[in-house]
Amino acid sequence: MLGKFEPYIVGFLCNWCGYAGADLAGTSRIQYPPNLRAIRLMCSGRVDPAFILTALKRGADGVLVVGCHPGDCHYINGNLRTERRVALLKKMLSDLGLDDRRVRLEWISASEGQRFAVVVKEFVEEMRALGPNPLEGDMHET
Amino acid sequence: MKLRIALEGLGACAGCEIAILDLHEEILFLLEDLEVDYAPILMDKKILNENVDVLLLSGSVRNKHDAEEAVRLSEKAKITIAFGSCASFGGIPGLANLYATKELLERVYLTTESTDNKEGILPSEEVPPIEQVIKPLKEWVKIDYNIPGCPPEIGRTTSKMIKEMFQMLLNGKPVTLSKKTVCDECDLKREEKKIKRILRWGEGEPDGTRCLLEQGYFCAGPATRAGCEAKCLAALAPCRGCMGPPENVTDQGARMVSAIASIAAVDEKDRVDPKELATMFKDVVGTLYRFTLPSSIISRKVLERKSK
Repeated sequence: MLGKFEPYIVGFLCNWCGYAGADLAGTSRIQYPPNLRAIRLMCSGRVDPAFILTALKRGADGVLVVGCHPGDCHYINGNLRTERRVALLKKMLSDLGLDDRRVRLEWISASEGQRFAVVVKEFVEEMRALGPNPLEGDMHET
Repeated sequence: MKLRIALEGLGACAGCEIAILDLHEEILFLLEDLEVDYAPILMDKKILNENVDVLLLSGSVRNKHDAEEAVRLSEKAKITIAFGSCASFGGIPGLANLYATKELLERVYLTTESTDNKEGILPSEEVPPIEQVIKPLKEWVKIDYNIPGCPPEIGRTTSKMIKEMFQMLLNGKPVTLSKKTVCDECDLKREEKKIKRILRWGEGEPDGTRCLLEQGYFCAGPATRAGCEAKCLAALAPCRGCMGPPENVTDQGARMVSAIASIAAVDEKDRVDPKELATMFKDVVGTLYRFTLPSSIISRKVLERKSK
């Protein structure tokens, strides 16, 4: 890629809250950076740590995981499992020499379109400041 | 015609070759059909000139000599097998991928407590240059089968895996491994999947009838391929994951993170704080990727930012 560095963000959004929140941001015409590539899953609990590692390995500069607020999970506690998964994974990533801020977990409900836009904007700026993912990847070339 | 085999240990401890000897008297029956042409760890012959049917390569490629030897030998064999966890995944030596080569050399030759090297000399003559990272053998040569295990002799009473491997090779069949996980072969009783904290081995007294993971001891069983008949668990020692990830899983550590997060208590009463969970391990990477770091998704420590 030529010119300015644009962070490539992969988002794993749960069907019931995160994705619906993103949808609301869209239908409400709220502006937010286009750096996020959203992947919809039924629950944030479906996010296997291997998905996050693969995204980073392939050059994603940041990975955003969005689930329902605690207590709101459509599957009772899938989001709480993910919270623990991400915490453990972050520790692993920093031991492997990657900045653990590259993985971010957020709770965003279906009614929080505004908040979704703010979170994405914040995260993109954070990643822009952090610079490109040091792992070899193929995402920036495409 | 006998099946001609060659054994070679690269950067290895010879445990895999000894595991074959651990077949005990069974080896006599096997030798009726097998001819060991070359095995420098066990026999005198130092150079393999003729072609063989099966090459069992164990150990990891740590230096240029290992790499050249792996290529040279595999060209002489019809079937090349990565024998043992080092060859299959990178193994314990693969944990060196957490350090830069310079750090490794300095630690080994200069700063270990028993080192007396005041001149600070690093070996450079008559030794093959070190490889920067450990990679599984399949990245060096074409590997037909991986036989994991540290060593692969395991089995509660016999060296079941090795015997089966030779039988499959003798029958001209593809060598297959169990598709299950260690938990499937484990006899310990599983009840409630909920833990409040991770205990280190030696903390408290484990209950010898119940699942160790459920008691809070770190056991890699759920993320580890079966085939060992859960031998360690039968002796009440937690699984360390030497058989590598099960079928269709590439990243053993990620699978184990998933498994642990799934059983950490989330209810009001016993709730495990996510941040605390991460601190319950002394060494997350070393524990979860003990044998498989070089073949995992992020296979080494990211040492410096790649300049573009």
